[in-house]
Amino acid sequence: MMRMKIIKESNKENITGYLFVAPQILLFLIFLVYPIIEGIRLSLFQINYQDEIFVGLDNYRKLFSDPVFIQSTINTVIFVVFIVALTVVFAMFVSAAVFDKNAKYVSFIRGAYYIPVMVSMVVMSMIWSFLLNPANGLIPFVARELEVASVNFLGDTRLVLPVIIFVTFATNVGQAIILYIASMIGVPKELFEAAEVDGASRMKVIFKIIIPMVKPTTIYIIIMNIIAVLKIFVVIQLLTGGGPNNASTTLMYYLYNNAFKYNQLGIASAVGVIMFLITLLLSIPQLRIMFKKD
Amino acid sequence: MFKKKAKKREKIDIIFNIIVTFFAVLSLFPLYWLVTSSFKNSSDVVKMPPDWFPKTFTWSNYTDVFNNQPAFTWTYNSLVVALVSTFALIIVSSLAAYAFSKLQFKGKNILFIIFISSLMIPKEVMIVPLFRIIQDFGMVNTLSGMIFPNVATAFGVFLLKGFFDTIPDSLREAAKIDGASEFKIFYKIMLPLAKPGIGALFILNFVQVWNDYLWQLVVGQDKASKTLMVGVATLMQDLNPNFAYKMAGATVAAIPMLLIFIFFQKYFTKGITLGSDK
Repeated sequence: MMRMKIIKESNKENITGYLFVAPQILLFLIFLVYPIIEGIRLSLFQINYQDEIFVGLDNYRKLFSDPVFIQSTINTVIFVVFIVALTVVFAMFVSAAVFDKNAKYVSFIRGAYYIPVMVSMVVMSMIWSFLLNPANGLIPFVARELEVASVNFLGDTRLVLPVIIFVTFATNVGQAIILYIASMIGVPKELFEAAEVDGASRMKVIFKIIIPMVKPTTIYIIIMNIIAVLKIFVVIQLLTGGGPNNASTTLMYYLYNNAFKYNQLGIASAVGVIMFLITLLLSIPQLRIMFKKD
Repeated sequence: MFKKKAKKREKIDIIFNIIVTFFAVLSLFPLYWLVTSSFKNSSDVVKMPPDWFPKTFTWSNYTDVFNNQPAFTWTYNSLVVALVSTFALIIVSSLAAYAFSKLQFKGKNILFIIFISSLMIPKEVMIVPLFRIIQDFGMVNTLSGMIFPNVATAFGVFLLKGFFDTIPDSLREAAKIDGASEFKIFYKIMLPLAKPGIGALFILNFVQVWNDYLWQLVVGQDKASKTLMVGVATLMQDLNPNFAYKMAGATVAAIPMLLIFIFFQKYFTKGITLGSDK
């Protein structure tokens, strides 16, 4: 009798549990799991308006012989490396300088750097496009006044990458600053007190205590930013349209063009699969940390 | 904070803070430029050397955006998409988060691991199959087409589970002895206690959906089904050479976010940092 009741109870609890998670699972299956599987399938087909022809790995083969795809990949890697490095170094610098100051000042610094993140890449890209406009933008004007040679920042193949790297970095660094400040405030005070007793300089405290203590945050910021930069799109579309001469095109922009401009759904899906695999690989270290703590 | 009494500040610390403050002010400059430009008339806005503050102050760029462009419709669309996605996400993910935190059921752990693993995958990488699903459902050019994928994210589950975990189990057991149903316990006891988490989720998700671009661009192709972000971005291709008018559009898109930030700053800091140290 008793055992029957327990079994019945646990069955009931099982069913209640499933009912609670059912809506989320349903959405998850339709809009997340299925698209991943379908994306992999589509990447193996050549898709016209009417029919789908199985072509195996042909789409992938085509990709690697397309110079625009190669260019997009190289650009994306350059963006990832420089934007992530700039973000980590600068955010660490800002946070290490301010984290132990008074609360009002910290919240001003945090806010000032975070507001560009808040107002979105679309708005920021529009402002930068206005500021950089070669005919009447403020920045080319200042460059002319200072007699710096080139003023066509977005039309010059050598300048376009650094400019986009800067714009993206300047718009998004606030997120990393918030994370670092929170993490540095959380470092146990005894460590600083001990360092003070030893008479350690501030630089020494930063390099020997703070930076090692916030390592998990650094890993998190690096991974999150790599994934964010990987899917960089808005700034490319609004500032350069991938130009000049594909000099600033990225994987996401390439994917978008193939999917929604050239109607090459198979090719676009193949790019999506490649990007999916990269993000999956990248997220493994972070997931490990998250599960360890759970 | 802790070193108030002892030790004078090192020179290098002072220099660093001057640099940090300088860049902080500088990083606000583009926004200052946006807002002031939006009030300039079309000839002043491109004048070089520039006016650092509008000489003649005009609202006409704003009236132009709302009269010549369907900016009201765009704003309405953005509000609906952001609000409905966020409410739906809160309902769906609070239910699931509660189950993952407090209920025992078979396969719970493996299911949670799968959910969490999906956290890092951006929906942009599967935009082709996702778009085809929306097409099959007949949801292209509809707001529902923009809403659904935003509700499918595991982010809410992850964030809210953390909050439910802090609520003691004894509360649930006590209510159970009193004969309350599981749903009643969830709704009457647990949900109110998880309010700070729901607040953080609301704001983070609202902002994220409001600022989302690519998916809304792809789904809303008609002028009438565009959201504010996408609509405002189309002003960039507008042949109208008046920059002030485009800046007015961008300001309209930015203002709600600035207000949210001013009023809810602490929720952000809380919500954003949650992912990193969990």
